Amino acid sequence: MSTFNRVHEHVREYEVFARKARAEPLHLVGSVVAPDNDLAMAYARATYDEERWIEMAIVPKEALIQLWAPGDSA
Amino acid sequence: MSLPGLVLSLADNKQLLGMRYAEWATSAPSLEADIAAAAMGLDDIGHSRVLYGCLEALGEDPRDPARGAGDYLNVAYLDQPWTEWSQFVAANAVLDTAFALAIQACVEGGSEVLQARLRKMLQEERYHYLHGRSWLRQGVDRGPVEAAWREAVEWFGPPDGDIATLHRDGSLSMGPGELAAGLEERLEMAAPAVTPDWANWDPLRRRTRPGAIDRHTFEMLRGLEDRKFAPTG
Repeated sequence: MSTFNRVHEHVREYEVFARKARAEPLHLVGSVVAPDNDLAMAYARATYDEERWIEMAIVPKEALIQLWAPGDSA
Repeated sequence: MSLPGLVLSLADNKQLLGMRYAEWATSAPSLEADIAAAAMGLDDIGHSRVLYGCLEALGEDPRDPARGAGDYLNVAYLDQPWTEWSQFVAANAVLDTAFALAIQACVEGGSEVLQARLRKMLQEERYHYLHGRSWLRQGVDRGPVEAAWREAVEWFGPPDGDIATLHRDGSLSMGPGELAAGLEERLEMAAPAVTPDWANWDPLRRRTRPGAIDRHTFEMLRGLEDRKFAPTG
């Protein structure tokens, strides 16, 4: 087989959220790394589809507005 | 070709596509792509089982129990394992999307059996084309893309062929022209210049190139590998 780069030149990290029931809130189930939203959706579905989610959504990690992080004071 | 014949061709192609995807489940360019290859492989093998299961309900199962490696109704692109990632991407983007469009034409067509049983496939197929289209945009060799596109157009058949007839009688919601246009629309790119040699087109296998599935894959399909490793006596 030919050689190739194992990663894309430019990628973003996406957080993956899902829930199993309407009564549940969406919760973080993992993350994927992809160069665009299309591939991130395909990767999220392929990686985290082992459970019977009724909803799944992804968010670019950079879109999260962080208030504080471990080690910071609130 | 009858509607069951077309469904059998879809089933054979989906089965082979699934197996070819699975061959890349540990060789793709990233871990995520490995997992996607495995997931899409499982999807397509599952889709083939549903499609095979429709044949009896459609009133005709054209499969010969003794059919050989050269009798499967798959496109030539799936005869041999792929050696380049570009081949995977081209099959994923072009051929998988072409078959998904044909499944959509069945779901929107007049057969209640296909309307009921194939609809869920379209949801799963969405992620196949998102995967393929994104990788296509990243840039891959043109050769495999043109080869896959040519075989997709050949699989749709001639403008006045059987799919056109099935479209006219309402069995399918799209004919060859609509399917080819749908492929361009989904992939958001113009088709390469393709002029199939219809004089040498095999209307049963829906392809112009002769050939057969590689022996290893054929034996797996027929369950001969299982028999080889089964305990004797």
